[in-house]
Amino acid sequence: MSRLEAEIVVERRSERGGEFRLEAAIAGDGITVVCGPSGAGKSTLLLALVGGLRPRSGRIALDGRPLFDAGRGVDLPTRRRRIGMVFQEAALFPHLDALRNVGFGIRGRERPARARAWLARVGAADLAHRLPSELSGGERQRIALARALAAEPRALLLDEPFSALDSASRAALGDLLVELQSASGIPFLHVTHDLGEALRLGTRLVLLERGAVVQSGIPAEVIARPASLAAARAVGTENVLSGAVLRHSAELGCSEVDLGGTVVQTCTLDLPPGARVTLGLRAEEVLIALGPLGASSARNVLEGRVETLVEVGTGVEARVATPVPLRALLTPGSVRELGLEPGTTVRLVIKASAFRRLA
Amino acid sequence: MTVLPALRLSLLVAFSATLLVAAAGGLAGWILARRRFPGRDVAAALLSVPLVLPPTVTGYYLLVLLGRRGWIGAPLQSLAGWSIPFTWAACVVAAAVMAFPLMMRAARAAFEQIDPRHELAAASLGHGPLSILFRVLVPLARRGLTVGLVLAFARALGEFGATLLLAGNIPGRTQTLPLAVYEAVATGEDRTALVLALCLTLVSVAVMLVAERLGRSR
Repeated sequence: MSRLEAEIVVERRSERGGEFRLEAAIAGDGITVVCGPSGAGKSTLLLALVGGLRPRSGRIALDGRPLFDAGRGVDLPTRRRRIGMVFQEAALFPHLDALRNVGFGIRGRERPARARAWLARVGAADLAHRLPSELSGGERQRIALARALAAEPRALLLDEPFSALDSASRAALGDLLVELQSASGIPFLHVTHDLGEALRLGTRLVLLERGAVVQSGIPAEVIARPASLAAARAVGTENVLSGAVLRHSAELGCSEVDLGGTVVQTCTLDLPPGARVTLGLRAEEVLIALGPLGASSARNVLEGRVETLVEVGTGVEARVATPVPLRALLTPGSVRELGLEPGTTVRLVIKASAFRRLA
Repeated sequence: MTVLPALRLSLLVAFSATLLVAAAGGLAGWILARRRFPGRDVAAALLSVPLVLPPTVTGYYLLVLLGRRGWIGAPLQSLAGWSIPFTWAACVVAAAVMAFPLMMRAARAAFEQIDPRHELAAASLGHGPLSILFRVLVPLARRGLTVGLVLAFARALGEFGATLLLAGNIPGRTQTLPLAVYEAVATGEDRTALVLALCLTLVSVAVMLVAERLGRSR
């Protein structure tokens, strides 16, 4: 098992002209998933690792071999780092067919044969002579994986490779990724903002938020117990709730989950009754109503008391004490209109589909 | 008859100048598109100056630089015994300097349009800068580079003012087609002028046809 270790500080001009600072310590074998909202520094981290961007300080090592060490003046160029890269939307060479793309990083006389073997490996043997423009998104990512691995890298970085794909292709490519990782034994660093991917693929999860690692650990644990608000934000979910599946109702097309003190309806969960489940709920999907609610399609109405109102960006986050504490995001206008203040009794209205299963 | 020597010289000059400009202009365009260094904008502006200056002024500067006592001319003369002004090489230099900005600007625009991730991908696959330039950037920038080459060739073929100052107008030695046309008209040799003009037109049409081909094929 080889291992990628990095402890770096990167400073770069952000697109809006400000200084962006990333401070990250990463160490991984297996598949490390890096998760965070856009602008958290995920792509900056990958660029620094592969040598497309020079860190201000720190060190990067692969299998103990230093790739970058600010203190000792080591800074290997990208072509000597032996780190493979798979990009969002693949970034295949548009002027080369699939076979030549895969062969691009292979040296020596066996190039065509080995490129063909790699194509077969990723299930794309029949696509050898297609140009990237003639391939689907999923096919392109298969070729991109083959291209990167055919060069025999010692680590592979993946920059949101599945973000443009439909869920079926995602699942298929996810399985392929896990298989290729365990066969190659090299560390994969997989950047995504999809928590489901982190759970399915990751042996470790690193949460990045505003240029800093806010939490890391086993994916299910990190997602179920974000250690801080920043971590919860990085997982893109302000409300993380754990409970147990009570029962399923085929008739209503939903499941009931006991969150400890209150029961909510969710979309049908693929879990047996009694199983533990972690649900995510975005604050902006929680509606606040004052009086009794008329007929509505929302399956859940929870009564509670506003505890605090905190400005978050351009909105206001209300923390509401129901049997489980919940956060709701609203506009300053609706806060005024409803006359919300700490102590106000409110009803939280939540659609069943707003609960997402995290683990 | 001055037609054949003029035609031969013009083709030689235009092709040599285009070859020089392809390399130098392409390289300069690549550097401007991909490298950040202090004074980049000033460098780009200075290298583009021949586009804006009257050709005779560019020719005058070249004469000052390359002349017997010029910054470049004097060492060339004393070290290698070369004197450039008023030779066919002077025609090439004048044409190349005039054509250079066209190629450089076309190449810069073409390279700037390429997604930088392609270079990063190629580097991560073990390729160095030169390999990336020829195996990724040039093929991807092909259309823009072709346009630059055609413009450069056209400029080199039609160059008059700078050539006149640096190379003079010596029939059989430095008299290119445009200069020969001018002289034929000035001395009232109307038939010669017509033949020369037709020659230039024919070469131009041929070049455009070839360029169309290059730009379209994969």
